[in-house]
Amino acid sequence: MWNRWLGVGLASCLAVVTLGLAVTGRLALYINPSSNWFAIPMAVLLLAGSALSFLLPLGAEQDHGHDHGHGDAEHSRAARDHEHSRTEQDHPVAAGRAGLMSPRAGGRSVATAIGVAGGVAASGVMLSILLLPPASLSAEIAQTRDVGAAPLFAGADVVSLAVHGDTASFGVGDWASVFATATNPDAFEGDAVTLVGFVTPGAHGAFDLTRLVITHCVIDAQTASVPVAPATGSAPATGAWVEVTGTVRSTASGALQIAASGVKRIAEPKDPYEY
Amino acid sequence: MTRTQSPAPPPLTARLPVSPATRRTVTLGLGVATVAVLFAVDALVPGLMPGAPTRVQDGLTLAISVLIESLPFVVLGVVLSIVVQVWVPAGAIERWMPRRAWARRAVLSLLGMVIPVCECGNVPFARGLLMRGFSVPETLTFLVAAPIVNPIVIITTHQAFGFDDGVLIARLVGGYLVANLIGWIYSRHPDHDALVTDRFRDTCELVMHEPGGRWRRSLAQFVVELRAVMPALVIGSAVAGAVQVLVPRSALLAIGSNPVLSIVAMMMLAMIVSICSNVDSFFALSFASTFTPGSIVAFLLVGPLVDVKMLALLRTTFTTRVLAGMVVTVLLTAFAIAVGVNLVA
Repeated sequence: MWNRWLGVGLASCLAVVTLGLAVTGRLALYINPSSNWFAIPMAVLLLAGSALSFLLPLGAEQDHGHDHGHGDAEHSRAARDHEHSRTEQDHPVAAGRAGLMSPRAGGRSVATAIGVAGGVAASGVMLSILLLPPASLSAEIAQTRDVGAAPLFAGADVVSLAVHGDTASFGVGDWASVFATATNPDAFEGDAVTLVGFVTPGAHGAFDLTRLVITHCVIDAQTASVPVAPATGSAPATGAWVEVTGTVRSTASGALQIAASGVKRIAEPKDPYEY
Repeated sequence: MTRTQSPAPPPLTARLPVSPATRRTVTLGLGVATVAVLFAVDALVPGLMPGAPTRVQDGLTLAISVLIESLPFVVLGVVLSIVVQVWVPAGAIERWMPRRAWARRAVLSLLGMVIPVCECGNVPFARGLLMRGFSVPETLTFLVAAPIVNPIVIITTHQAFGFDDGVLIARLVGGYLVANLIGWIYSRHPDHDALVTDRFRDTCELVMHEPGGRWRRSLAQFVVELRAVMPALVIGSAVAGAVQVLVPRSALLAIGSNPVLSIVAMMMLAMIVSICSNVDSFFALSFASTFTPGSIVAFLLVGPLVDVKMLALLRTTFTTRVLAGMVVTVLLTAFAIAVGVNLVA
């Protein structure tokens, strides 16, 4: 039972979580939607296998052929005895019951204890995955991940796109690479932008509009941020989601910045990451 | 399925004369019902639970994303291992293999080119190869080469780096070299059986003598492989998530431009972050401006082979000594190649 739970059970929980998120449209919290076509059918396949695995009696996968004895009975019995002595070392309880405690059983019981502890830990992690509500990464971790280098994207030549004025679909990530790499800042002066992101502390009365950019799944999340100068008042609280409308402006030092004409508080969007 | 009926399992309790067909339907219904209960729990319970503290939640979010991302590859790997172990007739693969040991390893290290499994699906597939009778050094060669010499990885690395600084070439040639080096080292080991864990050896003997038809053996292989891989994957992902929350990235990056220390830093980063090799080049790209090209190559070589998630997975099959030897070999080779790239670039 324990073995089934650690294998098929853990995998099924994960597949159920995957499909649950997919059905409620929240799979984008964890992986790039472009790999949904692979993740979802494979989860379905796994659950089909899990349901079918009930047909295999418990322990039958380790049941080395009690009903095996067609033909080479002698040979298989020898092999079977050999296996028995091994598996009993793995399971001191069973060995004790059979009265066959081997000299190495002491070392093995330590290994067994570690195995059980690992199994309990894995079960704990999986149960919290199944039972806790899904969440996006916090603004805190976005800040610790900000290494000062703007993320660059798969093949998207954002700077040349931006030069041709095709910035309507740009997100925070795209603008962050443009801001970091543009050789001719004046070309972007006055471009109108509407961006959604969360707030992290910035410099000189400005705040940073930040978004986590994901290539494949959340573990490769990278922080992208653009400096925003609010028109009036102070910056919103760190971590708050906002929609910023404004224009691109180059500052006295030649760096680019967004001059906000409006900063509106919004709820966290359903797809909190950019891809 | 008809064959599975003939060696009917002895009834545990002989209370009612139930026909095998009825019993099958009932157990299958039980399976479907269990899955349905899981769905119900997943739909209802999270709404009632309070959120966890931010740090714990972030670690968990990272772990979940690795797990959800790798699950399809694990399933693919298990399916391939079932195909290799149960459905491909004996001798069908072996016939195509060269006889000489080094040539076999060279061919196996290119097998990854046609089998697009990244590192998570790799382990179950490699276990299938081992059970089929491929030797331990041969399987290790495949296992180390496949995450790098892999069509998806080649395409994404090319997208990210093109041919700049020789990153792509260094990665491919380096991966191929490390794989054959590790295969060669362990082929000199006197006792190949001692390289794998006792538990894996038991599993091998079990599946060899698995009774019943092919469908039954497929199901048993499905159960056995998931049992071997899942706990390791869950724990490995949890560790990767936790380490990322606990170790501030800035601590590693402070040493980015030093030609030697940057290599060490990127190798450590690669071992910690456990990113799938399919996409790690995009991740590495964002460090390309601040880090030396050699350190980027080191990151791309070390990450797919010996990151914490992969080590947990490999531990299901290979002994700790083998893993330690692998880690040292990979780190030293990657370091040497990286220094070479830094000198040339």
